[in-house]
Amino acid sequence: MIENTKCECGHQNAVGTILCEYCGKPLHDEDSDLPLEMRYDGVARRSQRSSKSIIDRVWRFFSSVKVAVYLIVITLVLAILGTIFPQENMLININYAEYYKKNYGVIGQIYHFLGLSHTYETWWFRGLLFMIGTSLVICSLDRVLPLYRALSNQAVKKHPKFISRQKVTLERELPAEPSKWIDQFGQALKKKRYRVVQEDDALLAEKNRFSRWGPYVNHIGLIIFLLAALMRLIIPGWQYEQYVPILEGDTVKIEGTPYYLKNEQFTIEFHEPDAEGNVVPRLFRTQAVLYECVDNCDGVDEPVLEVVKEHAIEVNSPLEHDGLAFYQYNYNYTPIIRSMEVKLEHVETGEVYGTFPLRTNDPEAMYEVGPYEIELRHYLPDFTYENGEPATKSKNPNAPAFIFLIKGPGLPQEGNIHIYFPIPDDQIRFQQDRVNEAAGSQFRMSVGDMENVEIAMYTSYLNIKSNKGMTFIWIGSAIFIIGLVMGFYWHHRRIWVRIDDGRLLLGAHTNKNWFGLRKEVSEALKITGIEVEASSLDNGRNLT
Amino acid sequence: MTGLKKYRKQIQIAILSVVLIIGLYTIGSSLFAEKDSFPQAGEKAPDFTLRGLDGELHQLSDYHGQAVLLNFWGTFCPPCVDETPLLQQYYEQYKDQGLVILGVNLNESTVTVQGFVRQFSVTYPILLDKEQVRKQYGVNQFPTTFFISPDGMIVEKWIGELREHHLKPRVERLVPRKDDTA
Repeated sequence: MIENTKCECGHQNAVGTILCEYCGKPLHDEDSDLPLEMRYDGVARRSQRSSKSIIDRVWRFFSSVKVAVYLIVITLVLAILGTIFPQENMLININYAEYYKKNYGVIGQIYHFLGLSHTYETWWFRGLLFMIGTSLVICSLDRVLPLYRALSNQAVKKHPKFISRQKVTLERELPAEPSKWIDQFGQALKKKRYRVVQEDDALLAEKNRFSRWGPYVNHIGLIIFLLAALMRLIIPGWQYEQYVPILEGDTVKIEGTPYYLKNEQFTIEFHEPDAEGNVVPRLFRTQAVLYECVDNCDGVDEPVLEVVKEHAIEVNSPLEHDGLAFYQYNYNYTPIIRSMEVKLEHVETGEVYGTFPLRTNDPEAMYEVGPYEIELRHYLPDFTYENGEPATKSKNPNAPAFIFLIKGPGLPQEGNIHIYFPIPDDQIRFQQDRVNEAAGSQFRMSVGDMENVEIAMYTSYLNIKSNKGMTFIWIGSAIFIIGLVMGFYWHHRRIWVRIDDGRLLLGAHTNKNWFGLRKEVSEALKITGIEVEASSLDNGRNLT
Repeated sequence: MTGLKKYRKQIQIAILSVVLIIGLYTIGSSLFAEKDSFPQAGEKAPDFTLRGLDGELHQLSDYHGQAVLLNFWGTFCPPCVDETPLLQQYYEQYKDQGLVILGVNLNESTVTVQGFVRQFSVTYPILLDKEQVRKQYGVNQFPTTFFISPDGMIVEKWIGELREHHLKPRVERLVPRKDDTA
């Protein structure tokens, strides 16, 4: 079936057009007197045109605002579900399935099974975001192009039905000569910053048309925003998020980058205790140094590092470099001996031979103190006995034990074995002195003052994120706001006038603030000698 | 305007296909990311180079043509300690038939590793890994042993302590040739 869509003014309209694109004549309910539906100026949206092809069906699906609303609501609901329990990427180094089962029971198991434990990375969540993006693009294109065409090709002399069925209308005998009156009315509107076009005995005045583009500018901002989020998925290095624990004094490789980060010192300060004695932290600070690997970066040997940047990382002050941002995330009290200056003396005479530095992380094997050569034969960071043999429970220096072989003057050729526990409790627990005596060691090792011991108190947890997409996020947000302002603070107003046989027919339309429009029209009319109450211009009151 | 009309269909198709490509990529990338990308049985064992306790560089591909047991261990892990004498015994027994055991240590102090090796008289190569190969192979439980065939394929990933009755059939299947004494 081919519908005849030619208007009586001779303009060929597209199928689905409500008001003739040129003269504005209502094409469907010609006999009604009700105010017209002016959305998109009555032009046909692209998707309304009749076609049965798959492309048109897809296009029509995404161009529906109803579909868009459903998509947004579904996405919001799922995003909310994703916040109920902690997401997987917030958890460090554990079995996810067990974590959710242990902490949240059956609900936790279901949560993990459904993939809600990593909602924002699932294919269905991304799929929804992508469909919202598609809907945004197609909804906008589907409306903005026909609207642009209609607004840039407006007839000055509109169909009488079009004018009389506007929400703001006036019809009456003209007191003056038509062309003179129209000039005068046009001047009055120009003073109100209208663009005025006259043609025969008709007039079109229009202002702030640009505000009609506000929603679409806004959508462009949103699309840039979504694309930036998408780029994070597509471009390697744009999506990067890690939680890294760094003990004070440690330098840690930042996986997937050429960088290493050192935690020089972690500081925590507290507020004064409140009435109930609760202490609230006031400040977390990680004094950090960022290094870049310049040689031996393959992880085989000790890497050669160069300082890139130093920064005191605090909660709202991340260290930023090369699109990476290091945020203060958490901390843990983990007191551990890092190193000490050990004094070597004779167990009986107390003669001091000297001191040597001893690390608890990868200690050196050979030391020289006075006349003695000390070899570190074995190091057990978390000492215990396993089946009667010395062993270590973990990699952490919780109960460090150093087994030395000392050679030098007055000692047997093969040397003397000496065991040293830096922590006093361990010395007693593992009977250090008795073991040494039995081994025939004539030495004593000690650190003396606590000043000679370097202790790491805290492990700082940093959250490392790529912020490479941020520029686009900001641009997108700025455009979003500009669009919003355009649409909210300016209103598109149009006034049509035609005079037939000395009778004035006036209609006006705006998308917002009808009161303001009526007032402007009545003021302009007053200048031309027509006194009308602004409120009486409202359609439905002055139509007889 | 007529020009625009003429191309409207093409423009529409172009927009939809761009949207489709982006969409497939978005959804595809998250589907793909959910897959385990760590080496599994039946795959080629990823190559790596590590410094050994002997100070030499050891590359996995150097051992091509030999059966390799890639054993991730630490002195802090009791089952790793327990299986060490057995591994040493098998190494001595089968090394002439082309068996290599590579003990990848889990980032411990060199002195600690050295002390342990001396304590247990370990003679197979011990490699010092700074978390690199552990992560590459996706090893989170210790000990973990990869049985690698002479042509460099992972035959099996074994998690936990290896006992005689685990080790014997696997090693015998894996070594390239048997002599009469085996």
